[in-house]
Amino acid sequence: MQFKQAIYTSLLSLFSLSIWAEAPLIIYSHRHYEADEALYVAFTEETGIPVQVLKAGANELMERLKAEGASSKADLFITSDAGRLGEAKALGLLAPIHSEILSTKVPQAFQDPEGTWFGFSMRARVFVYAPERVDASTLSTYEALADKQWRGRILCRSSNNIYNQSLLASIISADGKKEALSWATDVRKNMARPPQGSDRDQIRAVAAGLGDLAIVNTYYVGLMLNSPDPKDREIAQKVKIFFPNQSGRGTHVNISGGGILATSTQKENAQKFLEFMVSDFVQKSFPLNTFEYPVVRNIAWSDLQKSWGTFKTDPLNLAKLYEYGQQAVLLFNMAGWE
Amino acid sequence: MNKRTFTSLRHEVDLWSIAAGGICLLILCPLIAVLSGMGHAAPMWEHLKETVLSDYLLNTLWLTLAVSVLAIFMALPAAWILSQFSFPGQKLFEWAMVLPLAVPTYVAAFVYRQVPEAAIPLLIQIRSRWGVDAFLFAEGFIRKGTLTVLMAAVLYPYLYLSLRTAFMVQRRGVIEAAHILGRSPASVFFSVALPLARPALIAGVSLVIMEVINDYGAVYFMGVPTLTVGIFRTWTGLGDLTSAVRLAGIMVFAVFILLALEQLQRGKAHFSEKESAPAHSNQRKLRPVKATLAFLTCLVPIGLGFLIPFIQLLYWAGLSFAHKGLGQLPWTRMGNSLLLALLTAVLLTALGVILNFAQRLHPVRALKLPIRLAGVGYAIPGAVVAVGVMIFLGKFSLIGSVYAICFGYVVRFLAVGLQPIRAGMERVCGSLDQASRVLGHSPTQTLFKINLPLIRGTLMAVVMLVFVDILKELPMTMILRPVDFDTLATLAFGLAQESRIQECAIPSLMIIFLAGTGLFSLNRLLTPPPSHTP
Repeated sequence: MQFKQAIYTSLLSLFSLSIWAEAPLIIYSHRHYEADEALYVAFTEETGIPVQVLKAGANELMERLKAEGASSKADLFITSDAGRLGEAKALGLLAPIHSEILSTKVPQAFQDPEGTWFGFSMRARVFVYAPERVDASTLSTYEALADKQWRGRILCRSSNNIYNQSLLASIISADGKKEALSWATDVRKNMARPPQGSDRDQIRAVAAGLGDLAIVNTYYVGLMLNSPDPKDREIAQKVKIFFPNQSGRGTHVNISGGGILATSTQKENAQKFLEFMVSDFVQKSFPLNTFEYPVVRNIAWSDLQKSWGTFKTDPLNLAKLYEYGQQAVLLFNMAGWE
Repeated sequence: MNKRTFTSLRHEVDLWSIAAGGICLLILCPLIAVLSGMGHAAPMWEHLKETVLSDYLLNTLWLTLAVSVLAIFMALPAAWILSQFSFPGQKLFEWAMVLPLAVPTYVAAFVYRQVPEAAIPLLIQIRSRWGVDAFLFAEGFIRKGTLTVLMAAVLYPYLYLSLRTAFMVQRRGVIEAAHILGRSPASVFFSVALPLARPALIAGVSLVIMEVINDYGAVYFMGVPTLTVGIFRTWTGLGDLTSAVRLAGIMVFAVFILLALEQLQRGKAHFSEKESAPAHSNQRKLRPVKATLAFLTCLVPIGLGFLIPFIQLLYWAGLSFAHKGLGQLPWTRMGNSLLLALLTAVLLTALGVILNFAQRLHPVRALKLPIRLAGVGYAIPGAVVAVGVMIFLGKFSLIGSVYAICFGYVVRFLAVGLQPIRAGMERVCGSLDQASRVLGHSPTQTLFKINLPLIRGTLMAVVMLVFVDILKELPMTMILRPVDFDTLATLAFGLAQESRIQECAIPSLMIIFLAGTGLFSLNRLLTPPPSHTP
């Protein structure tokens, strides 16, 4: 009987989706954070516009948008990487946005020069190191990790990961293709073990003493410090964060951001959503909930972020990440960085 | 009268073959949509050949070999012991042996990820004593070994299921004869049972191999880039779907060869499947020492494939409750999972029957080939099949509906139903349905009165297998589902992506529970009580 009920319930829930009183805003999102659900609810409360979300990988979502073509019902495309937004733009999926709020509040580097996408949260790819084995004064740049003194000491995840691809894209942009290849080759040689696992696994390996330094995104340290697992909390307390390239171009950063789909029939509401994402309310929530940085200036950071210190960011316009992204994967293949 | 029967017969015959042809065409369309891309310009192909292709191939090769061998070691002795001997716990093990099928590979990987992590202190010792080369060797050995063990441990049940059925069916005839003739149990096993079970062994191993080459989550996480990892990297990282599809083409080719081999074997050993049904009555009782060994032979695979992941997940779920309190359990997601799994299971089984029955009515190449081809989706990674399904359904604005997902599942998993149903019809129906036709029954009457009742067990088994597969399925569900529609698998994966492993334990446990229930009933179906013996 309960079995039947479960089926009826799900059939009903399916049915009820199609009879929303007001046309909902449909978001295809690569972001998978629990805290985002609360933001959607807050948006609906503020504007009365209901929101429906489809969460999947950015590439899968783009394939789906391509296949749906003109009949797509989706209004917004959100990713956790600027490169993918650039790709969506290149595929002609995004419509230009004319919003005073977005173009003034979001820093220039974090928006498409042609205004098809805007960033709303920022993450930095930094060094996490074991303070008892690494003297912080010897740390300087990403480039310096290619030095022989790091042989067998570095930890980093697979180059399948978009964060690594974007990092190398930024290095291509700063140093050129040839330098970037030799950097990737040398860093791979300096790794304590073949690339594997997630950013968290690299932090765990540093804490356990397998390597001395890992290249990871900042918010993972925040998430581990607040993990339900006491082991994770203990590990995260053992490591320290270093922001590389401070005396040069700055630390590599990336964004989560979104664009309005060209096929959207509710571009105005979609724009309201993006503007909502850069409102003080939402910007203040990022540091506390996902440990990401706000993109809007003068928004308070969390105490944890303050304890890591302020830092200079690489001013590279993130639209370049798309331009150099594929080259980065080619270079990783050549460098033997799995 | 005679003339009327003849004409109606011809008419219905046409309907069956048209239906079968239509179904095949519908299923092949997405596959063609994606595979036809192989011929397009593939800008990255040369680059792949020069850099990473050989690694992908090598990794795929050793992993399939290692997992297959280990899975045989886990499944074969247990299947033999459980079918021949009785010892304490035997009844429980008989069905519990399949439980690891309820654990999705990606969930097992989260759990087993802790093994290489726990080995870090040991690795550091090795490095300081014997240097970096020894360390790198040990690191690779532990990591790859863990991957092999975890995959074998969750996949061996495919092999166990087919072997146990084979051993039980053999028992009454040849094996007992060999015993009476004074052969020792070991000699019976190696010279009689094993050669006879070879088709079952190969069928089981080919299922294991297909699961291994299609896995993405576990290999990615454990840092072993196989062809499937390469497909995704080429598609998403290099933006070259054509080269990605070519990589998939290599896999399809390999699987085709595998299926052809299996076919060859099956053809040769045809006779062995026609034996009588199993009986439990005269299993030999084992003495304590041997019984303990038998007990361990069964416990180790279950422990690795089910108990360890299950207990770890329970612990994580407990942590999550302690940290966040008892939140709402995801009932709606469970409803969605059940809806998709049941709907697809029934649909796919029905299609399997129609296709096989049409082929029995018309054993012609013109039908045989498309039906064989329609099963090829099983050899292609789910996400790639999903792209084909989207390209195809996009023309009809059907993406993002329950129908689209079910259709996608059918394209991907049809082989799971096709082969057992064909084998079932061949084994049980023999010439009975032909006799029925000669006696003047229409194909439809024959199907419902003869074939379906005779293969009822097989049909239920297929329903259950598909049910379990769909519950665990991830990539296609992610891409093809409606907006705001989550299943237990997508929920678990989303949480895992966020590294909320503890919370991820709850939907994972629900999948395992539902799939376990399905497997339990499947095993009941495969073990008919002795009174059923004709």
